[in-house]
Amino acid sequence: MATTPRSGGSSSGAAQRPNGTSQNKSCQFKLVLLGESAVGKSSLVLRFVKGQFHEYQESTIGAAFLTQTICIEDTVVKFEIWDTAGQERYHSLAPMYYRGAQAAIVVYDIQNQDSFQRAKTWVKELHKQASPNIVIALAGNKADLSNIRVVEFDEAKQYAEENGLLFMETSAKTGMNVNDIFLAIAKKLPKNDNNPGTVIKPNGNESTQTTNNCCK
Amino acid sequence: MMANRAPMLRIGQQDLKCRQGCGYYGNTQFDGLCSKCFRERNDKQRKRQKAGEDHETLKVNTSSAGGTLERKSLQHSLTTGRANKAKKQPEKDEPTTTASTMPRKKFTVPAVLQKTLKSKFPVAAPQPRVPSATESQFMLQLRQLRIPDDGKRKLKSEIQRLDHEIRKYMNNNSSKNVDELSELVQNAYTRFADLVHNDARFEIATNEDREIAIDFFEKVVMTQNHNLLFSPYFTTDEECDIKVQKRIRQLSWITTKHLDCSIDEVNAEARDLVYNAISELVGIDSYYSPQEKLLCTVRCCRHIFELLKRATGGPASADDFLPALIFVVLKANPVRLHSNINFVNRFTNASRVMSGEGGYYFTNLCSAIAFIENLNAESLGLSAEEFDAYMSGEPTYSTPWESALLACESLHLISENMKCMEQLQKRNSVISTGIKEFERELIEFQREITEKVDMVMEKAPLTLLPIKTPPFLISQARAHLAQDGGEAAAGHYQSNLRSLSQQTLTVKGKEQILEDSQLDVGHTLALKDTSVSSVGRLSPLHPNLPQPDQLFASPIFNYTPFDAVSLLEETSENDDVLMLGTEFQGGLTNINYDFDLSDQSGENSVADESKLNLDEFDPLAQQRNAPTTHLDETTLLDTTTDSLIDSDVPVSEVLLPSPLKPEVANYRGFSNFEIPSISCNTGDFSSLNQDVNDPVAPVQINK
Repeated sequence: MATTPRSGGSSSGAAQRPNGTSQNKSCQFKLVLLGESAVGKSSLVLRFVKGQFHEYQESTIGAAFLTQTICIEDTVVKFEIWDTAGQERYHSLAPMYYRGAQAAIVVYDIQNQDSFQRAKTWVKELHKQASPNIVIALAGNKADLSNIRVVEFDEAKQYAEENGLLFMETSAKTGMNVNDIFLAIAKKLPKNDNNPGTVIKPNGNESTQTTNNCCK
Repeated sequence: MMANRAPMLRIGQQDLKCRQGCGYYGNTQFDGLCSKCFRERNDKQRKRQKAGEDHETLKVNTSSAGGTLERKSLQHSLTTGRANKAKKQPEKDEPTTTASTMPRKKFTVPAVLQKTLKSKFPVAAPQPRVPSATESQFMLQLRQLRIPDDGKRKLKSEIQRLDHEIRKYMNNNSSKNVDELSELVQNAYTRFADLVHNDARFEIATNEDREIAIDFFEKVVMTQNHNLLFSPYFTTDEECDIKVQKRIRQLSWITTKHLDCSIDEVNAEARDLVYNAISELVGIDSYYSPQEKLLCTVRCCRHIFELLKRATGGPASADDFLPALIFVVLKANPVRLHSNINFVNRFTNASRVMSGEGGYYFTNLCSAIAFIENLNAESLGLSAEEFDAYMSGEPTYSTPWESALLACESLHLISENMKCMEQLQKRNSVISTGIKEFERELIEFQREITEKVDMVMEKAPLTLLPIKTPPFLISQARAHLAQDGGEAAAGHYQSNLRSLSQQTLTVKGKEQILEDSQLDVGHTLALKDTSVSSVGRLSPLHPNLPQPDQLFASPIFNYTPFDAVSLLEETSENDDVLMLGTEFQGGLTNINYDFDLSDQSGENSVADESKLNLDEFDPLAQQRNAPTTHLDETTLLDTTTDSLIDSDVPVSEVLLPSPLKPEVANYRGFSNFEIPSISCNTGDFSSLNQDVNDPVAPVQINK
C-alpha cells in the first residue's frame, strides 16, 4: 500500500483541509475507543496521534479527545477519536459515546483475561446498539509484554473472525501495529459521500465543489 | 428582540396578523407582513431589479474573481457593494448611507429590502425600532460574513423563515411535541446546509465561510427564539431540573474518592481549577445559543484536563476525565441543567453534538448527568447500607484518616473564615473610627464657625447707613417748616409730611450722588429719628429739635409707637437669651435696613412691611450710633430723651392718635387671621400689650 500514515509528518489538525491536489477526497470519521480501564486505550491513541509514549508534550492537554488525519491513496481521512471511561461503573454510559460513530476500537490487555471478556461484551453491545455499518477493530494491547500474556493470539483472532472484526495485537509502548490498525480501519470505512451515521458532513459532501472553488 | 417578544404576546390578535390580511401572523421583522407575503413582495421587488442587477453582479463575481475575493475580505464589502448598486440604479433612490439605515433594521438588510422600505415609507416614517444589543451584534456579524451579498440575503430570509416556522408552531393551538419542534429545526438546518453547499449564490464562498454561515444561521435563530425553545412549557424539563438539582444536593457527600478520580481536593491550585471549571459549568445557563453553551462546556472540560494533567503527570484519559467531570458537576450543581442539555440536544445542529471536541465534551457532560441520576451504591463501590446512611445524611466516616482529613479540612475552612472575619472587623472599626472622627470634626467645625462669626461680628459690627437726605432738601424742608412754623396742626402735619417725602423721593432719584457726600448729615438725622422713635411718643415738632429734621424722619415717625413697642419686646427677648443666633439674625436683617428705610422714607409705604424693618432699626441704630456719633450728637440725643419725658402729653395729643394707634390694633387683629405675608416674627404680639405700658426701654445697650 502506497500510503503515508502520518500525513506529511504533521501533527494532528494540520492537514485538515485539502488545499491542493484536486483528486483528494476528505472524510471525517468518528472513532470511539472502548475497553476496560488501564488496558492502554489512551496510550494507544497518543501513540497514534502524537507518536509518543510516556514523554508527553506540554501542549497535550488531554488524551480523551484527539484528532488525527491520515492519507490513504487519494483520500484524506480525519479521525476524531473519542475515548471512553473504562471503569465498570461507567459502562452504561457508553452508548452515548458510540452513537453516531463510524468506527470503534475495542481494546483489551493481553495480560488480562477479564479485559478480554469485557472486550467481548463491548463487541456484543456494539453489534446490538451501534450503527449497523460500524467498523469494529479488536486490539490486544501491551503486545510488548507477550511473554507474560494471558490471552492467546489465536483465541482472539478466532473471536475476531467470527464476529467480523479487524484484529491486531498492538503495543503503544513500541508502536507496534498502532498505525496499522488505524489504517486498516480507514481502509475499511466507506469513503463515499454518504457515510452512514453522520447527519451532516460538509467536508465530505463538498469535496468536489471544494476543488472548484477554493483553489483559484 | 427578546425583550420585544414577551409584550408582543399581550398585544391584540389583530395587531399580530399580517398586514396583507391573509390571516397568518405578521412579524415586525417582515415589516408587519407574514413570511409568505413578505417573500412574495420581496420576490417581486427582486425580479424588478434583477434584470439590470444580476447581470452586473454576475460579471463582477465571475470575470474578476480575484477582485471579488479581495473585496470580500474587506469589512466594507457590503457597503461598497451597495454603493455599486446605488450607482447602477440612480433613478431608484439615492445611495443609502449605511450609518443611518443600518441600525434601524435588525440585520444587515439587503439593499433590496432597504429600498423597498424606503420607497414605502419615504422619509417621514423612519422605523422607530431600535435593535437590541444582540441584534446589532448579529447585524455586524452578518455584515462581516464573507459570503456574497446574495448569499447574505438568502441567509437572512432563511433565518426569518425558520423564525417564523418556530413561532407558528409555538402559537399553534394543537398539542405540541418537542420532538416535532426539534425535527422542524433540524430539518431547517439540513435544508440550509444543503443550500449553502449547493446553491449558486454561495458558490464563491470557501468551505470555512460556508460553515461560518451555517453557524451564524443557527446562532441567530436560537438566540432569537431562546425563550420559546428553552425548556418549553409542554415538556417536563423544569421538573427534571428540579429533580436533578435535588438529587445533586442529596449527593453532596460524595468525595473524589468515591468516584475514583484523582482530583486533590486539598491542593489549593487544584481547588482553583475546580472552581474555574465549576464557574464555567454554571455559566452554561447564561448563554443563549447552543454553540455558546457548548463552548462553555469545552472550557469547563479544559480546566478539568488541566487539573488532571497536574494530578497525574500526563494527558488524562477518559478514565480519569469522566469521574472528574462528574465530581465537578456534583460540586457545581448548575441551575437548569436538564433544560440546558435538552436545549442543546434538540436544537443544535445534530452534527455538533455527534462530533467535534464540543460534541465530545457535551457527550461527557450528558453521561455525567446520566450517571448522577442513576447513581446507586454499586456505582460508587459502596454497600447498600453505607449508601443509605450517606443519603440519609448520617455522617459515616469509615476510616479515622478520612475523618481526620475532613476535620482538618473544616479547621482549615474555619481558620480561613476567621481570617476573613478579622479583616472585616478591621474594616468595620476603621469605618466606625472614621465616623467618630467625622462627627468630631463636624462639631469642631460648627464651633469654629460660631467663633469666627462671633469674632467677625465683634470686629466689624454692623453699621447702618442712616437715611441719606440731600442737604438741599433738608434746607428746603427747614425753610418750609420755618414758614409754617409751630402752628402746624396734627392734620396738616400728615399731609405736609407726605408731600414733602414725595418730593424727597423724586429729588432723591435724581441726585443720588449727593447722598454719599452727605453721610454725616444723614447720621445725625438718623440719630434723631431713632431717638425719637425709640421714645415713642415723641413729637417731631419738639421745640428743642430742629424741626426740618423731624420732618424728614416723618415716615418713620408714622410707626414710632409701634417701633417702640417692638423694641421693648426685643429687649425683653434679648435680656433672656443673648444667643448668637438672634443677634446674628438681627444683624442680618439690619444689613438691608438702610435700603428699606430710605425706600420707605421715599414711598411712605405700607405699614406692615416698614414696621418690620423699623422695629429692628431702632435698637441697632442706637447701638451702632454709639460709636459713630459725634459728641454733639449724643448730647442731642440726651436732650431729646429728656424732652420726650417732658413733652409727653402734647405728643400724644397732637401727633399720635391718627396714624399709630389703629395701626397697632389692626396689626394685632390680623396677626391671628388675615395677614398672609408677614415674613418676620409676628408671633409675639401678645406681648405687645404689656410692653407698651412699660417705660421706655434702655434699648439694647447691652448689645
